[in-house]
Amino acid sequence: MDCPTCEAMVDAYVDGELSATDSAAFELALETCPDCRRRLEAARTMGGLLRELPADPAPDLLRARIERELRAIAATAQPKSPRERIRWTAMAASLVLAIGLGWLGGSLSGQGARETDELVSGYLRVASSERAVDVASSDRHTVKPWFAGRIDYSPPVHDLTAGGYPLEGGRLDIVDGRKVSVLVYRHNQHRVALTLWPASSTGNAAPKVTQRSGFALAEWRHGGFEMRAVSDLAPAEMASFATAVDQAVDADR
Amino acid sequence: MGGMSEVPKPDAATPDPSTVARFRTVMLPHLDAVYGFARWLTRDPVAAQDLAQEAMLRALRYFHAFRGGEARPWLLRIVRNVWHDQRTRNGATDQPLDEIESRAADGPDPEQSAVASDRRRHVAAGLAALPVEMREILVLREIEDLSYKHIATVLDLPIGTVMSRLARAREKLAADLRGRLGRRGHGLPDL
Repeated sequence: MDCPTCEAMVDAYVDGELSATDSAAFELALETCPDCRRRLEAARTMGGLLRELPADPAPDLLRARIERELRAIAATAQPKSPRERIRWTAMAASLVLAIGLGWLGGSLSGQGARETDELVSGYLRVASSERAVDVASSDRHTVKPWFAGRIDYSPPVHDLTAGGYPLEGGRLDIVDGRKVSVLVYRHNQHRVALTLWPASSTGNAAPKVTQRSGFALAEWRHGGFEMRAVSDLAPAEMASFATAVDQAVDADR
Repeated sequence: MGGMSEVPKPDAATPDPSTVARFRTVMLPHLDAVYGFARWLTRDPVAAQDLAQEAMLRALRYFHAFRGGEARPWLLRIVRNVWHDQRTRNGATDQPLDEIESRAADGPDPEQSAVASDRRRHVAAGLAALPVEMREILVLREIEDLSYKHIATVLDLPIGTVMSRLARAREKLAADLRGRLGRRGHGLPDL
């Protein structure tokens, strides 16, 4: 075999694409051709280098987004009652959020990003699930005791109907490896998920509302609790929600 | 190419629940590959998620045209088609490379050896810097481990072109890496 032939076969040989006969002929030719032996070595090295690149598995969030779409598609194929139709509209809205979330997750960094990711995924579960809450009640005297024994603190629970945010109930979530309480409020067609846990620093910190791809995040500290709210409310509404929470907490003391 | 030519018009009917269930079993296990390929195409983890999601949904719409056989090449071809559509739509704006290279330097590396992780960073940056025709073919061959036949399916090329393009891509990356990596200290034989 002359060298150009041999050279042309190096890649196919490395890639296991040669027939047994061609492979044998190639191996024989290699013995007399140091250039092609070097070429073979280089191709193998290259393959090894590329194969040792760390795998980058699909993020959980992507998986969740696709799962949610698949569920929605499977369900829309069924004949549906008007009531169900409303639910799927809500779910479609949450998909829009989910897409925004991907962007959000990638644009922040480190610890804060993970917390935000967790909070927003929690919100998406609230927004898209038929069972948004583990305990459904607008009665704080039902919701507050429900948390006892499930988490290691007692969150302030208030019905904010007077402020335009009726309490729907509560649920548990995990943020930064810690079990936390989530209160779910409704405002017209929107839901607000308020996640709160005991603050490690003292003093209050005023709500900071940020908006990302169509949904609002509020972050503040009040009455000894870290508060995080996520919703598809407008930022201004999110700010009034935070104020309503703070006023209820203050009124209780 | 075979089953791929039977891709129907995009206005295929909404899949019924049993189709979705079958899709879940057959296609969803390849989501890592879909995302991985999308990452190398877009060179951006966030754009890759959007691309992977859109591709999976398109795959579901076309799923009735999937005639069995290998699911992964079939999916990866859709990823590539969706990517091309997205680029056409968005005017083909690629991320500037310096940003990609600096990101390739972030993040923990599972291997403790500083030399190995340094080498991986350079290889990743070198691969990311290749023109897309070279990048995609190397990823399909070396990372996704596809055969020439399957690469031909994904890229819609004759096998001969797959072979020559692959050889050129390897040469180019080897030349780039020779520039990036000093030969000493990386435990590398000659490239």
